[in-house]
Amino acid sequence: MTHKNKAYRISILAMFIAIIIIQNFVPMFGYIPIGLLDLTTIHITVIIAAIILGPGDGALIGGAWGLITFIRAFTAPTSPLAPLVFTNPVVSIVPRILIGLVAGWLFIWLQRKMKRTPAMMLAALAGALINTILVLGLIYMFYRTPAVAQAYGTADVSRLGGLLLVVVGTNGIPEAILAAVVAPLICTPLMRFRKQR
Amino acid sequence: MMNKLLLGRFIPGDSLIHRLDPRNKLLLSFYYIGIIFLANNWLTYLVLFFFTLFAVYLSNIKMGFFIRGVRPLIWLILFTVLLQVFFTRGGTTYWSWGPIVLSQFGIVNGIYIFMRFVLIIFMSTLLTLTTPPLSLADAIEAILKPLRVVHFPVYEVALMLSIALRFVPTLMDETEKIMNAQRARGVDFGEGNLFQQMRSVVPLLIPLFVSSFNRAEDLATAMEARGYQGGEGRSKYRILTWQARDTWTVLVFGLLTGVLVWLRA
Repeated sequence: MTHKNKAYRISILAMFIAIIIIQNFVPMFGYIPIGLLDLTTIHITVIIAAIILGPGDGALIGGAWGLITFIRAFTAPTSPLAPLVFTNPVVSIVPRILIGLVAGWLFIWLQRKMKRTPAMMLAALAGALINTILVLGLIYMFYRTPAVAQAYGTADVSRLGGLLLVVVGTNGIPEAILAAVVAPLICTPLMRFRKQR
Repeated sequence: MMNKLLLGRFIPGDSLIHRLDPRNKLLLSFYYIGIIFLANNWLTYLVLFFFTLFAVYLSNIKMGFFIRGVRPLIWLILFTVLLQVFFTRGGTTYWSWGPIVLSQFGIVNGIYIFMRFVLIIFMSTLLTLTTPPLSLADAIEAILKPLRVVHFPVYEVALMLSIALRFVPTLMDETEKIMNAQRARGVDFGEGNLFQQMRSVVPLLIPLFVSSFNRAEDLATAMEARGYQGGEGRSKYRILTWQARDTWTVLVFGLLTGVLVWLRA
């Protein structure tokens, strides 16, 4: 049974946004603290939305996460680095939107080539990696421009860059593996459930 | 665990700040975060500090709530401040060890950054404490309205936001229920190594998603049965009104900006 009507689309997206909000504000559910940057499980929600609802809606959910990250960087930062890097909307919002787009499109494209489970795994892996690589890359880019570094009052730009590389590298890999393992585990029963209705 | 949630913790009241138009409050809060970056010497920070205290005083909300908002973040703030203090060079150098330098500029910078954090957190806490979430959603809709020119679905986004905010507490209760149910079946949350901790989210997420799909379906059916056909051409029940006091607060903020520009080094 397919649901194409407007009310259903609005309410299911609202539910996903509500879940993202909850994951952001309940400790241990969305962010697991390990050090400088927390490990997150929120990208899994975005990837699931992208696989089940499609790339456009996935991007919307990702955008909602990015927006919350952006606002939280000012008002209630999640990690010591958040106020330094996520106060820039390009770093906080763009990578999160792209998680949804990349995971959704890749899943649609891969589904024609292979079975559903490996397609989900690869799409989730790509979505998680895109997030990490873009956040890392954008931080690196913005921290090398002197204007931004000065605005944040940092002097030792190159040192901080290297530190970020290590930290995001150690976070990105577990996050990507987790997404690849968990996404099929959650998406498969959900898809079966949605067909039954 | 759940009562740590700051979002949507609204304290009913009838103070001046409570009665301000939510559109005004939201925009002024963003504006305030913007003008905090104007401050660059101790006099400007002092002005901002007393301004924030005055706003808190006007809201008639106990100072304790604001302190509680800062408390969980204090380690984060201190960490950032220390990073600033030890890696900024300039002015008199008091002590140095390799790349770590304790300098005059570093200490001053650290204090400024600390102040900036605390002031921003106070102001945003003030916004959420004095504005009910649904009013905030209305305010966001009103502010986004100009985007209709570029065919941005403002009504849909606003409705999505209202529904999401409405269902945050409901889904939260449900999350807690599912967590307890899974605990009873032997799942350990927040224990073990990293992968075990992250994996324990799975038995939480599947039932949560399934129930969200169910809820969305029920909600959509109920909406359609009541004649929902899309955002265009609807009238509103909650209407926001701009009053004289809103104009006054805007003027006060304008004055503050003027003072900051005048005092900044």
